[in-house]
Amino acid sequence: MRNSILFVFFIFFLSPATKAIEVNEMAVSCPATLESTKNPLSLKKYLGKVIYLDFWASWCPPCKKSMPFLNALRNKLHDQGFEIIAINVDEDSEDARKLLEQFPVDYVIAMDPHGVCPKKYDVKAMPSAYLIDKQGKVRKIHLGFRSSDEHEIRSFVTQLLNEDKNKEGIN
Amino acid sequence: MNALIYYAFAVLVSLMLSACNVAPWERGNLAKPEMAINPNVQHAAFREHVFESKEASSGGIIGSGGGCGCN
Repeated sequence: MRNSILFVFFIFFLSPATKAIEVNEMAVSCPATLESTKNPLSLKKYLGKVIYLDFWASWCPPCKKSMPFLNALRNKLHDQGFEIIAINVDEDSEDARKLLEQFPVDYVIAMDPHGVCPKKYDVKAMPSAYLIDKQGKVRKIHLGFRSSDEHEIRSFVTQLLNEDKNKEGIN
Repeated sequence: MNALIYYAFAVLVSLMLSACNVAPWERGNLAKPEMAINPNVQHAAFREHVFESKEASSGGIIGSGGGCGCN
């Protein structure tokens, strides 16, 4: 009896905790399905681009609020190597599709109804955005979205886009 | 010895119960309008104002938001 209690305690405490993706760590791929092609999402494909990895849901008002701004930002900076990958975490992906019909966006949409990706990244709030540099490293984690955040996001994305240009200038 | 086993069991159960959290991305159902503590916020604010005027007191009224957990 004593041994079994100890065993349960060990299982409980030694169970693998989710390792969150922190700033300055490499971004990892996760099993989300691209809405456009139904292929699995691969972040490796976007190496060399600045990525705004957004976790969103149709039931989340700030997520909806961020969509026009993100779409405009993406379209403005896309030619410079910027892309937004928005992973939807609705349990029923149809809810997201209905919303996207009403408010279409040009950036990459991926579906993860089982919540594997947010678990892997240990998402702390909705929406959460991971700004990933051209080398695939997470440089900033932005939680939530308010209109007042727009300037900060735009500045940081521009900074990341200019990083390699500056390096090229030095070399 | 039995008391120790029961104590350990109680601690274990309470620890396990504390692990029943809802992750931010799992709050879709909680964010539905019917899940709001107060489904009509403006109406409630109006009633609260009337109540405060009549009773000459304010506060102690909760439940103005839903369970979305956004921001």
